[in-house]
Amino acid sequence: MRFLLVVLLFSVFSGVAQTANKLTISGYIKDASNGEALIGATVYIVETKNGGVTNEYGFYSITIPSADYTLHYSYLGYSTVTKTLTLDKNTRIDIELSSEAEQLQEVVVQAGVEQANVQNLEMSTNKLDIKTIQRIPSFLGESDLIRSLQLLPGVSTVGEGAGGFNVRGGSVGQNLILLDEAPVYNSSHLLGFFSVFNPDAVKEVKLYKGAIPARYGGRLSSLLDVRMKEGNSKKLEVTGGIGSIFSRVAVEAPLIKDKASFIIAIRRSYIDVLARPFVKLLQDGGALNFYDITLKANYNINPKNRVYLSGYFGRDNFKFDKNQGFSWGNATTTLRWNHIFNDRLFSNFTAVYSNYDYSLQFGRDDKDSFKWSSVISNYIVKPQFTYFINGNNELNFGAEFIYYNFEPANAVGVSNGQPTDVSIAKKYNLENAIYVSNSQKISKALSIDYGLRYSLFHYLGPDSTYTYGNALPGKRRLPITRKYNKSGDVIASYNNLEPRFSFKLQATDMASIKGSYSRMVQYLHLISNTTASNPLDVWNPSTNNVKPQLSDQYTLGYFRDIGKERKYEISVEAYWRDNQNQVDYVDGADLLLNRYLEGDLVSGQGRAYGIETYFQKKTGRLTGWVSYTLARSELKVEGINKGDWYPTRFNQTHNLKIAAFYEISKRWSFSADFIYVSGTPATFPTSRYVSQGILVPYNATESRGNVELPDYHRLDFSFRLEGKKEKNGRKRKNSDYWVFGIYNLYARENPFSIYFSQTDKRVPQGQPISSQATQLAIIGTLIPSISYNFKF
Amino acid sequence: MKSIIIKFAAASCIIIAAVSCETKINPELQAADPILVVDAWLNNKPGNQVILLTKTQSYFDNTLPPVVGGALVSVTDNNGMIFSFNEEPANSGIYIWKPIANEVFGTIGNSYTLNVQAEGEVFKATSKMGGSTPLDSIILKKNEPTQINPDFYRAQFYAKDLIGIGNTYWIRTYKNGILLNKPSDINVAYDAGFSAGGSFDGITFIPPIRGRMNPNDKDANDKALSPYVPGDSVYVEIHSVTNEAFYYLQQVSIQTNRPGGFSELFARPIANVPTNIVNLNTTGKKALGFFNVAAVFGKGQKFVKK
Repeated sequence: MRFLLVVLLFSVFSGVAQTANKLTISGYIKDASNGEALIGATVYIVETKNGGVTNEYGFYSITIPSADYTLHYSYLGYSTVTKTLTLDKNTRIDIELSSEAEQLQEVVVQAGVEQANVQNLEMSTNKLDIKTIQRIPSFLGESDLIRSLQLLPGVSTVGEGAGGFNVRGGSVGQNLILLDEAPVYNSSHLLGFFSVFNPDAVKEVKLYKGAIPARYGGRLSSLLDVRMKEGNSKKLEVTGGIGSIFSRVAVEAPLIKDKASFIIAIRRSYIDVLARPFVKLLQDGGALNFYDITLKANYNINPKNRVYLSGYFGRDNFKFDKNQGFSWGNATTTLRWNHIFNDRLFSNFTAVYSNYDYSLQFGRDDKDSFKWSSVISNYIVKPQFTYFINGNNELNFGAEFIYYNFEPANAVGVSNGQPTDVSIAKKYNLENAIYVSNSQKISKALSIDYGLRYSLFHYLGPDSTYTYGNALPGKRRLPITRKYNKSGDVIASYNNLEPRFSFKLQATDMASIKGSYSRMVQYLHLISNTTASNPLDVWNPSTNNVKPQLSDQYTLGYFRDIGKERKYEISVEAYWRDNQNQVDYVDGADLLLNRYLEGDLVSGQGRAYGIETYFQKKTGRLTGWVSYTLARSELKVEGINKGDWYPTRFNQTHNLKIAAFYEISKRWSFSADFIYVSGTPATFPTSRYVSQGILVPYNATESRGNVELPDYHRLDFSFRLEGKKEKNGRKRKNSDYWVFGIYNLYARENPFSIYFSQTDKRVPQGQPISSQATQLAIIGTLIPSISYNFKF
Repeated sequence: MKSIIIKFAAASCIIIAAVSCETKINPELQAADPILVVDAWLNNKPGNQVILLTKTQSYFDNTLPPVVGGALVSVTDNNGMIFSFNEEPANSGIYIWKPIANEVFGTIGNSYTLNVQAEGEVFKATSKMGGSTPLDSIILKKNEPTQINPDFYRAQFYAKDLIGIGNTYWIRTYKNGILLNKPSDINVAYDAGFSAGGSFDGITFIPPIRGRMNPNDKDANDKALSPYVPGDSVYVEIHSVTNEAFYYLQQVSIQTNRPGGFSELFARPIANVPTNIVNLNTTGKKALGFFNVAAVFGKGQKFVKK
């Protein structure tokens, strides 16, 4: 570890020394039509045959010797801009690129032509831009970010209706989901059918499945970085749509032209509005709806300072009547300040408040009622710096401070007039980290990125802690001692060094080999033992009894462009992950409202490995990709499956996804996707017995996940019709389009689970009981949809 | 807590329920050797006490379970008293202890050991008889009809948990003299609530436990039936069970009460239900089932026609 630090410092200082007589070109690259910063746009210098890429805020900086240069500014789908200049002083060049208007719109997964995936140091990442997401055939016609992600290699789900997603054999709770830097704790509306992100307000989505940069940490398996639009800084723009589930509208406009702008986007499900006249429940105070509001504003104070304020508020409401029901939602606020210290030192300061809560309420009168709410909230401060040392070194360093406040349960039950407080004490935690990393070009062929993150986690008082007695492996442990810790006490602390390393070896102009190693640490645990995660799952911090999860991931990949114009791209990546301190549960574990929860948790090892192959056609009338993943994800916990490795509930051996987009004419286009994945594991009984007149299943082999469910496959397609561009011979100001789609075209009843039970009939005493197996398909038919979208 | 999740799932399905579907299937299952099952739930109700010895059968074998005859079955208490359970000559596999005069089985506070010698192996299990709690009343109420709950009569029993942490109960209901005994009828309480970590102590059982005495049945057209109608009679018993027996019954409920549909999204992993029957020879065959000695309070009520 110390060696790495020395190397790092050395390279930084040598970098500084080298740049003594060099000059810097820096600036922002934006979209000419709306002023949105372009992330990952490239600057290519013809003379030196290298260049730079814009960061998450659209900023680039290149340091080179004084000379005459020709610069190409480009971004896929946009016209390239060429600049020539004589570099004799540090120069700021802000560029606006125009999208290639007359060309048929095409779908882009990986941005960048000259800085294509092959030449980028990054691996194990996938970008989806919003235009692609809007073209993927969708469930009930609602474009959805998380459902779209599931078409990418290495990403899977346990089935329809299940919330979240699984990346490289990791659980749903091992993904860090950031919406403009704010963590989102539950990414789903209506269980898992829709995600909380409004596509009208999203600019770009990037999924890191491995080789996660040192500036991020806190989850084991992936980072989903969702960036919101900044809002049109040129003119007022209104977009919206009417779908089967949501109605949406987004307004964006300049506050001060080219200096300040905002966007506000609102979605609401409207089935309850339509149904209200016919459904008495809804008139009586019942509710069934979900909605979200996304807003963002930014102000360009001067060329060196820019501030952004973004917020999200979403909620799901299910009420049986006025007094009974459920409600849950996320709220986030992010304030960011981009400050350019000088041409080479870019900084961003972020302050975040993020909150997830749910509440439920039962009981028709005050004599018998039950009210329960749970909250996780956090405050984050994150200073981040990028120092563009020279053409060969880019140094990132910074810190992150997070304060968590967990309220697992504020609950009061009233039984026959007698109230009982069954709340579970709040928990307070602090998670701090510092990081430094350098991205370095060693030679024309070899680039490396090396970094180190140091994280420190505290479990703070006041809280009561328990120690638990011993039990047989896999069985509940009972509390034996209780200790009260007062406010200010540090109850438990953990710290970890998290090295991150990656390299790229450019074999030829068209092919490269990349590899990485990263250690990730996760201090929060999503406690869930149901098949699909659900909104009532609680997050639990690491404590004196629950250790942080650790993961080491190794990846190796081969990337290649094909064709003169780099029309095709192919990649093969292999990964191996070793996980420690994975959380599993004793049989019959009680996870909700249980102050002795930790006695029901068991800890084990995990491992996940696989090969992801990806083939993409990037340009032309037909675009799309084929992705195939061969993988395995396993756990090993003492007392479960006789102590042997067993597959996780979301293990899928084969995972094939095909997405295709075809421009039929200027107005009509066609999209289709096909999914074929192997069944997830299930446990089947061997035998049955009768206990007190009830038929109990029994698995004599004592194994877990001993059977695979039948394979899952599905074909979806959609047609998109662009509205007329002209009306009465004149160009229309508005644009609109219709989407007609069918989900699950051949109406396959894909199994979600198979369960075993006795038949529902009452059996007279002394008569035999019948047993049955039932296969459940969450979606057992084809689902047509239609939606109308507009923009003016 | 599971009931909350099921309610929650029920609420969620309203929107999309129409598209889900269930099919009965016949998957091939692994074969397994039959093993002994001991069903020994004894109590202090007047009358005979019965222990059943059967064997496991393959899961789709829809016949009566095979019986285990010719075993030696007895229960001893901590004072050395022996209760012999003798096999019924006409009913193999059924072992009965018959009281003399008004004698009842068991004394609150005593510990009991079950001994079973069957098929050349010796099995033991222990249980302690804890105190139960009396019922105050059973009340029938007509629901205000809503869309989710139609015009039903539902009953609730009222009883208070004994003071002190860690009392566990099994509540059993007889409707018109017939024991309600479907997986969805299993009704267990830890103190007045659902679990040890929840700590409702010394108060009236919480509403979901009071209301679980309502049977959940459908008519020939698959329409839900009112749990009770005026004129029905009902009898509710509260059995004291050991904490271990509580966890056993809770696991039986989790593993057998599968209403299907969207609740499967929140199904917990399939696992074997535990047992307290131990083979003295640790390398010998395992056994399944449970041994518990309960104290019982009961109360009946006839719902009058108005």
